[in-house]
Amino acid sequence: MDAESRILIIDDEEVVLDSCTQILNGSGVDIATAMDGTRGLMLVQEFHPDLVVVDLKMPGLSGFEVLEKTMALDPTIVPIVITGYATVSSAVEAMKRGAYDFLPKPFTPDEFRLIIRRGLEKRRLVLETIALRREREMLRENFAAIVSHELKTPLSAIQQNLFAMEAELERHLGDAQKNRLERMKSRVDDLLKLIHTWLQVITADTEKLKETFEPVSVVTVITKAVESIQPQAVRMDVEIVTSIGEPLSPVYGHEGSLVQAVLNILSNAVKYCHAGSQVRVGVEEAASTIRLCVEDSGVGISKEDLPFIFNDFYRGKSGQVVDRGCGLGLAITRRIIEAHQGSISVESEPGKGSTFVISVPALKLDAATQSPLNAPVMANSQKGGVG
Amino acid sequence: MNQGKRLLIIDDDPDFVEGIRSILEAGHYEVDAAYNPKDGFHALETKHYDLLMLDIMMGRGAEGVMVAQKVAKDPKLKGMPVLIVTGIRELMAFLFPWESLDAHLMPGDEVLEKPIKPQLLLEKVSALLQQAEARTVRATQAN
Repeated sequence: MDAESRILIIDDEEVVLDSCTQILNGSGVDIATAMDGTRGLMLVQEFHPDLVVVDLKMPGLSGFEVLEKTMALDPTIVPIVITGYATVSSAVEAMKRGAYDFLPKPFTPDEFRLIIRRGLEKRRLVLETIALRREREMLRENFAAIVSHELKTPLSAIQQNLFAMEAELERHLGDAQKNRLERMKSRVDDLLKLIHTWLQVITADTEKLKETFEPVSVVTVITKAVESIQPQAVRMDVEIVTSIGEPLSPVYGHEGSLVQAVLNILSNAVKYCHAGSQVRVGVEEAASTIRLCVEDSGVGISKEDLPFIFNDFYRGKSGQVVDRGCGLGLAITRRIIEAHQGSISVESEPGKGSTFVISVPALKLDAATQSPLNAPVMANSQKGGVG
Repeated sequence: MNQGKRLLIIDDDPDFVEGIRSILEAGHYEVDAAYNPKDGFHALETKHYDLLMLDIMMGRGAEGVMVAQKVAKDPKLKGMPVLIVTGIRELMAFLFPWESLDAHLMPGDEVLEKPIKPQLLLEKVSALLQQAEARTVRATQAN
């Protein structure tokens, strides 16, 4: 047994305390005893036990009360109850209230040793889990800082010097050389953007995002997203057709991140579309839900990829023509939509195209009428179209 | 027209500074560089500068913020325009590319993210210098 483990035994019978102490003597554990619940709870705070063994039947504070108060004081302590009249019901009750295990009286030294060993093992696992969680949190935070400084700093310096050299060498470089310089800049820029995206995923604090929520016009979100993707669509000869149903309620959210979410979907749709085809964006409201559809007739997603596409760092595996991308766009989209109490789903058939559906709760009209945003929202949507 | 305008860069990455220096010198500015806050202060105390370009993430953390605060408090330096140059965006959760950094640091000064396109750099520097000049003219007229 762990040499530093501390065990607190609470029992009103001195003979039990003595025999328990004797059984554990020499096994390297630190033992404290209490003859009643009140004294026991004091020791929970002073002695900081790993394990508390408590008799259920005691005068004064009952074992159940001691159990509950101990767990309130420190939920990581492993409590074990001693049931005097080994009734199954009191043992079950104790386990329900959070006891880790129970020991029916009378018990043999071996039974006691075994249960203590198991309890300490449990305690070790509990503490280890807590430590690992904390470590993971720290890693997550530190990783962001490390990535930002160690990767971005040299890349920024390289890019800044490429900018400078381009200007310095303006009159000395041939077209082919200028072209290569241009490509170097664009590759470094891709890397910087990639790091940004990773950081967004790693550090994205959706709880913080929720603090910024306000009524947002769905039409504005779609308009902005479509505007941002338009140049890319024109380059790829893809037409974006928007249809907006009935007057729409606003949603409660963060406009910038909602635009980003829609933009990621649109960008994928345009990327995987065949030249000359259309991407259809439709939005409608039904049953207090705003439902946004993005439909393309592109390469589609294979059945084996479909379940994973909203996961972090996932890229299609099944031989699609995949453009540069880090496999994070859809994961970010999912997180943004989930932060808005919404959901995202996809239907797709390889070779025929994909349909992404984003659903977010509509902001109730009575709440919205008090908002100055309501009027422009209604006015916009009655025009019935975007760009 | 920028002749005689003297700029100080405080940034702990000499390679980055060279990239910036080349662009500014091509824009006919005089450029000095300090690679840590201490040398930066020494330069500010011993020489006159028309503008300070300041990196935020230096040394063991955001030491640039301390420099900016000290400059803002110093009676001789506080009118000086400061161009904050940083890669700090990543430290702020959920800041999207179109969101401004300005609001998050200090009022009045401009913030640019590394790396900086030459044209944008020259525009910002020139705009800050003009604003500072306009302030000085107004102050003189007021007296």
